[in-house]
Amino acid sequence: MTIVHQRSPLELPSGEPLTPPKPLGVFSRPKATSGWKSWFTTVDHKKIGIMYGVASMLFFLVGGFEALLIRLQLAVPGNDLLSADLYNQVFTMHGLTMIFLVVMPLQSAFANYLLPLQIGARDVAFPRMNALSLWVWLLGAIFFNTSWLFGGGANGGWFAYAPNSGVAFTPGHGMDFYAVGLLIMGIGSTVSAINLTVTVFNMRTPGMSMMRMPVFTWMAFITQVLLVFALPVITVALFLLMFDRLFDASFFDVSKGGDPFLWEHLFWIFGHPEVYIMILPSFGIVSEVIPVFSRKPIFGYPFMVGSGIAIGFMGWGVWAHHMFASGMGPISVLAFSLATMFIAVPTGVKILNWMATMYGGRLRFTTAMLFSIALVAMFTIGGLSGVTHAVAPADTQQTDTYYIIAHFHYVLFGGALLGLFSGMYFWYPKMFGHFLNERLGKWHFWLMIIGFNATFGPMHMLGLQGMMRRTYTYTDGQGFNVWNLVATIGAFTLAVSILIFMYNVAHSYRKHKANPVDPGPDPWDARSLEWMIPSPTPEYNFAELVVVEEFDEFWHRKYGHDEEGRLVRIAKTEDVVQKPGATGIHLPSPSYWPLVLAVGLPLVGYGLIFNLWWAVPGALITIMGIFGWVMEPADDPDGGHEHHEDESPSDDPEAAAELTDGAESGEASDEETVAADAEQTEEAPVG
Amino acid sequence: MRNKRNATIALVLGTLACLVSGWLLLRGATSLETFPLNTLNPQGRKADIIYSLVVPVFAIAGLVFILVEVGVLWMAARFRRNHDDVEGVGEPVQVHGNTGLEIGWTIVPAVILAVVAVFNANAILQMDDTNADAIDVTVVGQQWWWEYRYDIDSDGTVDIITATQMVIPAGRDVKLAIQSRDVIHSFWIPALNGKMDAVPGRTHPLVIEAADPGIYEGQCTEFCGLSHGVMRMQVKALEPAAYDEWVQRMTTAPEQPTDEKALAGQEVFVQQCTSCHQINGLEPGAEAPYLYADLPNPNYGEDVGSTLLSQNAPNLTHLMMRDTFAGNLLDLYQGDSAVAVETTVGSAEAVPSGEPDTNNLKKWLRNPEDIKPMDPENNQGMPNLGLSEEQIDQLVAFLVTLK
Repeated sequence: MTIVHQRSPLELPSGEPLTPPKPLGVFSRPKATSGWKSWFTTVDHKKIGIMYGVASMLFFLVGGFEALLIRLQLAVPGNDLLSADLYNQVFTMHGLTMIFLVVMPLQSAFANYLLPLQIGARDVAFPRMNALSLWVWLLGAIFFNTSWLFGGGANGGWFAYAPNSGVAFTPGHGMDFYAVGLLIMGIGSTVSAINLTVTVFNMRTPGMSMMRMPVFTWMAFITQVLLVFALPVITVALFLLMFDRLFDASFFDVSKGGDPFLWEHLFWIFGHPEVYIMILPSFGIVSEVIPVFSRKPIFGYPFMVGSGIAIGFMGWGVWAHHMFASGMGPISVLAFSLATMFIAVPTGVKILNWMATMYGGRLRFTTAMLFSIALVAMFTIGGLSGVTHAVAPADTQQTDTYYIIAHFHYVLFGGALLGLFSGMYFWYPKMFGHFLNERLGKWHFWLMIIGFNATFGPMHMLGLQGMMRRTYTYTDGQGFNVWNLVATIGAFTLAVSILIFMYNVAHSYRKHKANPVDPGPDPWDARSLEWMIPSPTPEYNFAELVVVEEFDEFWHRKYGHDEEGRLVRIAKTEDVVQKPGATGIHLPSPSYWPLVLAVGLPLVGYGLIFNLWWAVPGALITIMGIFGWVMEPADDPDGGHEHHEDESPSDDPEAAAELTDGAESGEASDEETVAADAEQTEEAPVG
Repeated sequence: MRNKRNATIALVLGTLACLVSGWLLLRGATSLETFPLNTLNPQGRKADIIYSLVVPVFAIAGLVFILVEVGVLWMAARFRRNHDDVEGVGEPVQVHGNTGLEIGWTIVPAVILAVVAVFNANAILQMDDTNADAIDVTVVGQQWWWEYRYDIDSDGTVDIITATQMVIPAGRDVKLAIQSRDVIHSFWIPALNGKMDAVPGRTHPLVIEAADPGIYEGQCTEFCGLSHGVMRMQVKALEPAAYDEWVQRMTTAPEQPTDEKALAGQEVFVQQCTSCHQINGLEPGAEAPYLYADLPNPNYGEDVGSTLLSQNAPNLTHLMMRDTFAGNLLDLYQGDSAVAVETTVGSAEAVPSGEPDTNNLKKWLRNPEDIKPMDPENNQGMPNLGLSEEQIDQLVAFLVTLK
């Protein structure tokens, strides 16, 4: 496999151009890089990242609506707004939507957009695979939600414990959509994870050693590695469940020699690393935002990276803490209980290092910074409640009560989502070329913090008072009335804050259209490479590849320090950032095939669930997609997709010379030099 | 200066806020009357072990909570950029880290956790200890109620099968063998011990003990399908003498009904109910006179070919010996308070007294799905039998004789 083409594929060794062969397949090669059509064929990591983000925010509204239904149902005792069956569907779909359709793809959005920029690359390692992962995920997510139209959503809980998830006890199609839908989405996530892992290994700009990578890149990278290993486990589990449900395979049926415990273990071996998959990218975002707005470097970079790696490793040894009440025996309980307690150590290191970063700084309370600080404060609560049920005997009282719901919402909302919102406010100007309104942002922030704590804070109380999870109602005499009502009011406050955020997006866009103000490459006086290039990011990312000499390269080009260690400016930002306009940069060509390949999969899914014959056209489309993809040259032979900005040709002849230089010089293609090539070549990779 | 003042304010207000939220968390924490499922009011020695672990762990977590939250607030106030700050003047010192400090805050939490771990390990290993005078009860979870089986004389045959309300002697360990007939459930009486899952194909041990007589509310806590949310149960702990009386009553067949209405009800029962419900000795197709047996048939559901997925419905032989029915959703006896949601510590009767709550029984028989969601089309739960009011009257007259 050649990751990097040194030579244009249409060039003979002699340098003579070759007449391009006729493109194979029914479609002519897409060429557009702007306009709405280009979004369907793009292989640009930035457009893909943005589509991940937009789609997951739309699903966030769906999941949020489901959350409001839950809170309305539980606002008062004995409510009959939702039937027990509908409630079971709604809470299952809420969890699955928020995990697989919101938090995971949102981290994908940031990782896709930022990871190549932060390591100074022009794209990911395999751009077409990147498009594939988006389309497979998105179509899988839509497929999964169409279960509402076919008799109702999944209703066995996101954890889908067998045998309740089996066809005998849950005969509707909801759990079929669960198994098949997650399998399809898993393909997308696996592809994406492999892609980004290779990107980090191979695509770093010269001088960007692993220990100079920004903390976000590190955390996103660890996340991808976790995904690469965790997804196969759930894939196996889902296959077993699918075979049980559709083909009567009996993997989990005791009466036929199966074992429901098998599902529990498989699910949580995936399910626990999944928690870190959701939270680590946000840890990364916070580690970018806090230093920028404190005007101090991240405190203890090696410890930040090391604790992330430690969490990643230890995350594999604690899955059975979800099963302390499952009856696996005292020795297993003991082992997993102790392992779980100690995972608090690297997490605590992160909290303290963020605080130490703020200590002595000059803090600017932008909306992004507020969200990051809030993550430190709120995630701590989730972490501490986590320690209280790492103690297994205590957990046997707390598990499956609202105390757990409080705990993981402080982790996943107070941690993951607050971090992701922080990232949105922080990188918005880089992605879209204008700011989000800060005034509205602060309304969003404060309402969200109040709503969040009002919703999930009381659930600690409810849980300790004995309110069980996944209950569609409660009785007047159980003492749960007051805090449930408070939580419902909190949930609606949260909903208002989300509306403000959406209004902010629309409002800021209109303001920008009416009166464009260029935020410039570096609106926050930031530290990492993505802030050296114009906003919004040009298609080619870097006009010139940056040669990195230290961690926080961009910052150190702007600032040094005096003998006291205080910050001193050594160069104007304008002199350090890259100018817009570049020519001769070879970018990967757009392609239809990832989308075609992805379209076939949901059709196969419907076929599996309703009638196997229907799977045939889906399979044919997917096979056609694979075939077309294989036959399609990675680079468009028809003139390629070279970036020219004719309106503003580069006024720096030296830079232009350097650009073409790289493209011509490389000849080597043996394996040893591939990585080096990736660092040096001026050409974007193909895949 | 301003920042320092604000930082002090943040310190004070932050600490206060933390203490208030801590107080809110623990307020009323001890009340079993207000919160019948309260996890913070142990009433037996196993629950005590857990509680004695919960208190210090919460204290440590609370302390760290206050330190971090107040620390973050203080820093936000103290190091906030002022409007009169000028770039290049008084800029922050560029600290990249402090290895000693970082190793310190890696090791200190690890040591604290190691200490907690010792107590944790000790508690885990204590949970299954039992005293010599322990009794055994087999607990079987099914959609959506609990069955309890007693082998009083330890001869290997089941002597008592009852449902919903488990009866135990106070002050004695009870070794539960927890099983399931369909999906995974979880047995939980918060005042007596933590949870234990009931998994089909497996038998899980759990030891409970109630220090005092009383009624202790419980709830299934593993999602088990449609009516999981209302799958409740109780443990009734009795003084030793009262417990012996209960065993005596439960191992003796109830008296035959005498009045006509009840006899007619018995007839309806045999025709309509025996394909799922057992009354010891009555079987489908039996002919009058209907004679009760002292001992239950442990494989009743299988033997009569019940079509339920769990193959079983509650044994009703001594229905009126319970205080509640319908999976602990409705009271069987009239009274001021709803026993079905209560935890009451101090006293409990072997044989419930008072007037039977026939309205509740009728409500249930008219349409069980109004009380508890069921899916009879998929053989889960009790169907609406479409009984006439007359049949319901007769059935109720019969059921109240089952004592």
